[in-house]
Amino acid sequence: MAEAQQTWAQRIDEAKEYIWSRTKVRPQVGLILGSGLGVLADSIEEAEVIPYGDIPHFPVSTVEGHAGELVVGKVGGRPVLMMKGRFHMYEGYAGQMVSFPVRVMKAIGVETLLVTNAAGGINEEYAPGDLMLIRDHLNMTNNNPLIGPNEPDLGVRFPDMSEAYSKKLRALARETAESRGIQLREGVYVGLMGPSYETPAEIRMFRMLGGDAVGMSTVPEVIVARHAGLQVLGISCITNMAAGILDQPLNHQEVMDTAERVKSTFLQLVKDLIPKL
Amino acid sequence: MSTTAAEKAYLEQIREAASYIAGRLGDRKPQFGLVLGSGLGDLAEQVAEAVSIAYDDIPHFPVSTVEGHAGRFVVGLLEGKPVIVMQGRFHYYEGYSMKKVVFPIYVMRELGVRSLVITNAAGGMNRGFKAGDLMLISDHINMTGGNPLIGPNHPELGVRFPDMSEAYSRAYRKLAKELAAEVKGEDGEALKLQEGVYCGISGPAYMTPAELTMLARLGGDAVGMSTVGEVVAASHGGMKVLGISCITDMAIGEELEPLTHEQVVAVANRTKPKFQALVKAFVREAAE
Repeated sequence: MAEAQQTWAQRIDEAKEYIWSRTKVRPQVGLILGSGLGVLADSIEEAEVIPYGDIPHFPVSTVEGHAGELVVGKVGGRPVLMMKGRFHMYEGYAGQMVSFPVRVMKAIGVETLLVTNAAGGINEEYAPGDLMLIRDHLNMTNNNPLIGPNEPDLGVRFPDMSEAYSKKLRALARETAESRGIQLREGVYVGLMGPSYETPAEIRMFRMLGGDAVGMSTVPEVIVARHAGLQVLGISCITNMAAGILDQPLNHQEVMDTAERVKSTFLQLVKDLIPKL
Repeated sequence: MSTTAAEKAYLEQIREAASYIAGRLGDRKPQFGLVLGSGLGDLAEQVAEAVSIAYDDIPHFPVSTVEGHAGRFVVGLLEGKPVIVMQGRFHYYEGYSMKKVVFPIYVMRELGVRSLVITNAAGGMNRGFKAGDLMLISDHINMTGGNPLIGPNHPELGVRFPDMSEAYSRAYRKLAKELAAEVKGEDGEALKLQEGVYCGISGPAYMTPAELTMLARLGGDAVGMSTVGEVVAASHGGMKVLGISCITDMAIGEELEPLTHEQVVAVANRTKPKFQALVKAFVREAAE
């Protein structure tokens, strides 16, 4: 059947069958890790690495610093599926493609999704290197991955977003961080299209609207995760202060450098969390 | 997504368009690019030793459809400086993709231009403004819902994630403010140069009062349907930008009156002498 005529459910099923054919592990936790944090893959036990290009209907990532493979295995004994490299709408993908892997996770049995990202700090109390638990988000991408006919097998027409980021999982993350002595901020993530960084005037606007951090990912993935009935935990790494806060230009290298600097703390937190999710 | 044929074609199209224009220019090498907004296009008539190139003749160029916008480049000397003037531009609301809207910006860059003066007609949302004022754009808010850089990046044009923290050059703004003090209109009145944040919307419907109130609360001082995409592309291409809005009508949500495009053009015409004097002074004094 031509791809265009297949339902999403059929495409998801083919991707699922392929992944199942490659590994005996049946993941319960899905991990989507942002810029610089792909290194967690190295600590996955019984790892089976599956390039995106091998999976039917999977898109392939283009951005620097993002590899493109699924790693299925175990972290602290817990079966996980990790996306090493993610898709962004600024790359030209539709929201439906960006969030396709989340659909596949759901199909293969994942119940909880942990998403992380690199974000710019809007809240002036934040500093580069801070970790922020995502309490909620503002969808400022001008898009929604659920636009189009709804497939009832995948979720309801009008999914609730009143607790997109699970309260329970947030409490768990706070406790876990505290027991390790890791300081964890908590705030609202503003999801944008990009790829140009924001102007100072835009950042002032987002602050006024209630945003604490800003980035170019996560929002479509979380909308689809909620549509699919997954529980979500989101953590941002504040890799830089957003435009206009400091009198200096923004660059992607700074984002990568900060992510590198806090990598070990972030990894520790994620590794502690996974078996408890 | 790997670089697609369509994306490769974009870069090639820029080069083919630039090469066609360069072929028409002989040894002229424009330094400054000027984008002239609604009712402000007459400045092109003052370009000396002008070569005029219709957009229609340039490979891969779209053609502008809005009234009050001619459709050509005028290349020559303004105040003795080599300039390329866009008389007429492309708008998102005309149905062009953002990539098409900003195509001429990259073509000017390919021709060697690194300094841009981008102008527009805008509605004033700041109560301190009045119709006929000129506003230096200090910054913008992109409310268009689009971004010309979505899709695979061309490193030949710029970086994947361009900084926008100083999209409107501070040095150029400082110079424009100094020069404004010297500018007088035909009526002998000194120019009042406002400064503020430009909100770019897609249009083509004008904003409702509720929307204008919202944009003003969000920090906008003026609102219009152009410029933002072009300035994102210019930042991507490493170009320095001076932005000037001609406040052609007041757009205060609570006091809004019906507006026609003819009114916008009439006020732009009235403001023209001061606008032209300021742009000419800037081109004369600015360094690349």
